[in-house]
Amino acid sequence: MLQIDYEACTGCKICERVCPFGAIIVEPETKKARVLDNCTLCGACVNACNFNALSIERKAVSEEELALYKDVFVWSEWEKKGDTLQIKNVALELIAKGRELADKLGETIAVILLGKNVDHLVDELFHHGADKVFLCQHDLLENYSTDGYTTVISSIIAVEKPSIVLYGATPNGRDLAPRIAARLALGLTADCTGLDINSVNQLVQTRPAFGGNIMASIISPYTRPQMSTVRPNVFAKLQPDTTRTGIVEEVEVTLKPISIRTKIVEEIVSQDESTNIEDAEILVSAGRGIGSKESLSLISDMAEELDATVSGSRALVDLGWIPHPQQVGQSGKTVAPTLYFALGISGAIQHLVGMSSSDTIVSINNDPDAPIFKVTDFGIVGDIFEIIPEFIKLLKARENK
Amino acid sequence: MKIVVLVKQVPEADKVAVDPETGTLIREGVASILNPYCEYALDQAAKLKQTYLEEDIEIIAISMGPPQAKIALMRCLELGADSAYLLSDRKFAGSDVWATSSALKEGIVNLVPDFDLILTGKQAIDGDTAQVPAETAEQLGIPQITYGVDVKLDRRRIEVKREVETGYQILSTRLPALVTMSKGSNIRRIPSMRQVLDARKKLLETASADDLNIDDSKIGLKASPTQVDKIFAPPIKTGGDIIDGSDPVLAAKKLLDYLVENNFLKR
Amino acid sequence: MSQNNITAKRIEKAPIEEIRFIKGEETIVESYPSYLIDESKISGGHAEWLFFPKNEEEIASIIQKAKEEEILITVSAARTGIVGSAVPFGGAVLSLERMDQIIGLGFDEDTNKWFVRVQPNITLNEINDIVQLKKFENNQSIPPEKNWVEKFREEKAYYYPLDPTEMTCSIGGTIAANASGARSFKLGPTRDWIRRIRVILGTGDVLDIKRGDFKAVNGVFTIKTSEEEIKINLPDYEMPLAKNAAGLYSKEDMDLIDLFIGSEGIFGVITDADIWLTEYKSQISNVAFFEDEEDSIDFVNKLRKLEEFKPEFIEFFDDNALTLLRNKQNEDPKFVNMPTISDKFKAAISFDLPYSDEYLEKYFSLIGKMLEESNSSLEKTWSAYEERELARFKHFRHAVPEIVNNIIAERKKVYPSIHKLGTDMSVEDEYLKEMMNFYHQILIEEGLDYVQWGHIGDNHIHVNILPNNMEELEKGKNIYKKFAEKAVSFGGSVSAEHGIGKIKHDYLKIMYGEEGINQMRIVKMSIDPDCVFNCGNIFGRGVPT
Repeated sequence: MLQIDYEACTGCKICERVCPFGAIIVEPETKKARVLDNCTLCGACVNACNFNALSIERKAVSEEELALYKDVFVWSEWEKKGDTLQIKNVALELIAKGRELADKLGETIAVILLGKNVDHLVDELFHHGADKVFLCQHDLLENYSTDGYTTVISSIIAVEKPSIVLYGATPNGRDLAPRIAARLALGLTADCTGLDINSVNQLVQTRPAFGGNIMASIISPYTRPQMSTVRPNVFAKLQPDTTRTGIVEEVEVTLKPISIRTKIVEEIVSQDESTNIEDAEILVSAGRGIGSKESLSLISDMAEELDATVSGSRALVDLGWIPHPQQVGQSGKTVAPTLYFALGISGAIQHLVGMSSSDTIVSINNDPDAPIFKVTDFGIVGDIFEIIPEFIKLLKARENK
Repeated sequence: MKIVVLVKQVPEADKVAVDPETGTLIREGVASILNPYCEYALDQAAKLKQTYLEEDIEIIAISMGPPQAKIALMRCLELGADSAYLLSDRKFAGSDVWATSSALKEGIVNLVPDFDLILTGKQAIDGDTAQVPAETAEQLGIPQITYGVDVKLDRRRIEVKREVETGYQILSTRLPALVTMSKGSNIRRIPSMRQVLDARKKLLETASADDLNIDDSKIGLKASPTQVDKIFAPPIKTGGDIIDGSDPVLAAKKLLDYLVENNFLKR
Repeated sequence: MSQNNITAKRIEKAPIEEIRFIKGEETIVESYPSYLIDESKISGGHAEWLFFPKNEEEIASIIQKAKEEEILITVSAARTGIVGSAVPFGGAVLSLERMDQIIGLGFDEDTNKWFVRVQPNITLNEINDIVQLKKFENNQSIPPEKNWVEKFREEKAYYYPLDPTEMTCSIGGTIAANASGARSFKLGPTRDWIRRIRVILGTGDVLDIKRGDFKAVNGVFTIKTSEEEIKINLPDYEMPLAKNAAGLYSKEDMDLIDLFIGSEGIFGVITDADIWLTEYKSQISNVAFFEDEEDSIDFVNKLRKLEEFKPEFIEFFDDNALTLLRNKQNEDPKFVNMPTISDKFKAAISFDLPYSDEYLEKYFSLIGKMLEESNSSLEKTWSAYEERELARFKHFRHAVPEIVNNIIAERKKVYPSIHKLGTDMSVEDEYLKEMMNFYHQILIEEGLDYVQWGHIGDNHIHVNILPNNMEELEKGKNIYKKFAEKAVSFGGSVSAEHGIGKIKHDYLKIMYGEEGINQMRIVKMSIDPDCVFNCGNIFGRGVPT
C-alpha cells in the first residue's frame, strides 16, 4: 500500500509529475496527494518526494501469498555495436539458466526488454528459450538510466509478481538491481555463480565472498520475488532454436524527463571489436611480472601469433598501460576463454575469480610458489622474457612450414 | 558543502579461509583494513576539498560496524576526514544489504541531514556485493552514479566519469547525490606523522540504534530479506603439469607441444 | 647446573638403499641445476650426488657412506644465502627439503616462554603462518601429556619475530648463518631466539644441545662421541662489540649452542630446533625524509639513545637509493602503491615504534622534537600502522636491493661475469658518521656507481657498488678491501650479517689475522676431522689443511 502522510504533504505535485502511470494526483481542493487504483507500487513518487510524505508499506508475505508469486523473469540488457543493438551474452546465459529453473518449478520464463526501437531483438530472446517478452519501449529508455529503468522494471514486478528475477552482473545490472531491491524491499544476492531450486521451491543462490576464498549459499525465505545478479560467462547459453516463438506483451511506458535525474554528457568508447576480452577464444594476459611498459610489445606479439586478444591484471590497468575494459578479475571482467595465458601474473585471488573458469590455463611465472600455478593446467617456472621470445620464434617457424 | 564518505572495515580478503571441517570462517590472525575502494572515495573527497576551496568542504566519514571499526574511521581522519561517526549496536548484527542500507540511511539523515554529496567505494572486498551504496541511495531517494573514477563539482551539479564495459561515460546529476568510486589516483596517500597525531584530536563518535531513533523492525537479522543458508570452501582445482623453465628453448618447445597436442593451434 | 662436557647419542642408520638420491654430475647439471646455486649467484657449482633424506637415520647413513667413499657433503635447504654457503663444489648435496614440518609446540616453564619445535627446512613464512593462525594439531604438544596446544589457542597472537628480509629462507639455514635483519636492532640475531638444537656430527652421532646446559670452562668443551672423546679449545680472539656474523663465535665461558649457531654448517647437520615465540605487538612504521644526509645520521644518533622506547629497526637510504626508488616508481607496476618522493630529499630513515593509543601523543611529540632538531618534521614523515600499509612500507625498504639486482642483471648481458659488490660491515656507534663519509669519499673519488642503505641502527650500512664494466669491478674489489680494513679499525666486523661463506674469507683474515683463522680451523678439525661438512665455508674454497 502507498501511504500518504497528509501532514507532511505540501501539494507540490512532484509526485504527479514523476509517476509513470498517472496513478497519483494532487487534489485541487485539498492540495494533498491522492493515490488512484492503477498504482503499481513502483516507488517513483516515494523517491521523488522531498518531504518524506510518501511511503510504501511492504510486509513480509505469508506462505500462501508467497505461492502467488510465479514465473522466472530475466532483464535483458543489450549493447550498441556500431549502429546496431545486440543482446548481451549474459542475458542469453540467464535465459538458459532461468529456463532450467522455471522447468524445475513448473513455471514459465519471461524476459523484460527495455529500450527504444528494440522490438527487432525479441525473436532472438525466444530462440534462446524465453516464453514471453515484456517489451517496454520509450524515447527515454534509449540509454540506460538508473531512474528510468528502475521505475519501469519495479512496476512490472509489482504487477506481475514473478517468483524470481535475474540480472546480469554488469556495471548497469549491478547499478539497477539493488535500486529495484531497495524500492521493493526485496532480498538481492550479488554476483551469483550458482543457482538452484531446493526441496521447498526456494531459489538457492551461491556466490563467492572474501575474494573467492569462500562460497556462500543464500536464500530469501520471506520475500518475493527472489532476485540475483549473475556474473557473465558463468552459465552457458542454449543453442538458438529459430523455430521457437512466444508471447510479446507490450508494456505502456509513460516516463517523464523529470524523473530521470542523471544525464549522459559524453560516451568515451575505448574498446573496439577486437579487444572485447569477454568473447575472446584465446586471451594472453599479462601482470606485474612483465616489469616495464616496453615489455607489453612482447605480449602483443605473442597474442598476434596466436590470433589472441591481450588482457591484463589490475596492476597494469592502474598504471594505465592497458585500458580498463581489458582488465580481468574481481574489479574487471570475468572471462572464460578456451585458452588463457597468465604471463607474469602471480594469481592473487582477485585475479583468479575473474579467470579460473577458463577451459585451459597456461602460466609462466618465475616464482614456483605463485598461486596461479594452483589453477594452471600447464605451467612453466621461468623467465617470461627468455621463454616468450623462444616461443614466438617457434610459432613463426611453424607458420612458415 | 558537506560530503559524507561511507566506509567499511574489512578483513584482508585474500587471507580469509573456511575451515574445511566445520565450514566456519577462519578470521584469526587476519588483519582488518579500511576497504580499499572506500579509501578511494575518501581520496576523492579530499581532492574535492583541495580543489574547490570556495565550497568550504567538510568531510564526514560514517561507518557501520563493531566497536573496533573505529580504527578504520581513525584512518579516515588521518587521510582527510574532518569528523567521523561509527554506527555500532548489537541490534545491527546480522544485517544484510537491505538492513544495512536502512541503518546507514537513518544514520546519515540523523547525523548529517544537510549532506550534499555521498561518496563511497564501489564495493567492499569482503562481501563484494556492491549493493549497499545503490540501496542506500534509493532509501534516501537521491540519484546515484556507480563506478566513478573522477568527480567534478559545478555548483549544485556534479559530473562523474564512470567506468562501463566499453570505456567510460560522463554522467551529470544534481546534488544531493551518491557516487561510488571504483578507482582513485594511482599514487596512494600515506598519512604523515603529523596527520596521524592530529587525527586523534578530531571528533570520532559512536551512535547506537537508539541514539538514531531507528525502529528495530528496520535493522539486523530480522529485517534482512536474505539469509545465509551455508558457507563452504570453494572446490579446489588440482594443478596440472608444472615444468622447470630454466632452459627457455626447451620450455618453449614443450609449451608448443602441449598446445599442438590439445589442438589449440589452428594453423 | 651447566657442564662443559656433552655426550653424543648413536643413531641407528637407515639402509642406504632406501634413501632417495640422484647420481651423476651431468644429470644434476641438466635436471637439478637449482641445487648448484644460491642467492650469491656464484658460478661453478657442481655435485656427483644429490640426497633427499627424510630423517636423522637416513642422514647418519649418508654421512657414513660419504666418509667411506671420501665424498664431501654440502648441506642444502632453501638456498637463499648470499655468500655461497650452500653451493657445492664436488661431492654430495644433502638436501633437507623432506624435513620441513613443525614437530610441536611447547611452553618452557622455567622461562615462561612459548616455543615451537621445527624441522630444518621449514621456512619462516610457513612457521609464522602456522603460529599466527594457531594451526597446530591437538597431539602436537611437547611433551604430549601437556595440553599446550589448547592453552595456546586461548593466548594472544604470537609469532617468530626474526625477519632476515627473505622470509622464504629455511629455519635451519638461519641458524647455521645466525641470520639477522633490520629488526635485530631491538630483537637481536637468530642466536637469541634458539632454545635448543639437534646436530648430527661426522661420526653419525647426534648432539642434543639445550641453551644453558653446556658451558665452556676456560675456553674448553669436551664432546664424547661413539668413537672418541674430543677436546675443543676455543679461539681466544676477541669478537667485535659491533654487530657481527664473521667467523666462529667464541668466548671463554660461552654456551655450546652458540658454537654451532652461525658456524655456517662446518660441524654437522642441524636436524631439529626449538625456537622461541614472542607476543605479536602492533607497530607503527615511519619514514622520515631529510634534505641533508648528516641530519639523518644526527637523527639516528638521537633516536637510538631514546630511553622511552626502542624502535625494532632503524634503516637508512642515501640519495642514490632514493633516486633508484624515484625512477622505479614511474615504470614498475609493483610500485603503484607508493607515494612520490620529493626531489629535494637526500636521505631517508625508516623506523618503527610500538603502537599504543596511550603513548602515541607522547612518542610523536618526542620524535617531532628530534626531527625538528635535525631539520625535518612530522609533516615530512610518512606514518602507517595498518597491516596493508605496513606491507607497503616493507616493500619500500626491500625495493632497493631488488632494483640493484635488476640493474646488475642488465649489465650481465654485456659482461657475463660482472656482479655487484655488496658490503656488509658494521662499526661501533661513535664511528658511524666517519665510516659513512669514508664510503662516499672513496666511491666518488673512484667514480663508481653505488648506493648506501640498510641497518643504520646497528651501524651496519650496506654499500652496493654497481660496476659498469670489468675494470670498474676490479676497482670495486680493491675498494672493498679498504672498507674492510677501515671497519675493523673502527671496532667493527667485516660481515655483520651475511657471513663469510665461500666468498669473504680474505676479509675474515683482516679481522682475526692468520692466527685467529688457524684457531678456528683447529676447532673445525677437532669436531669434523674427516672434513665431511660444507668445506669451503669460512675457510675459503678447498679442503682446509
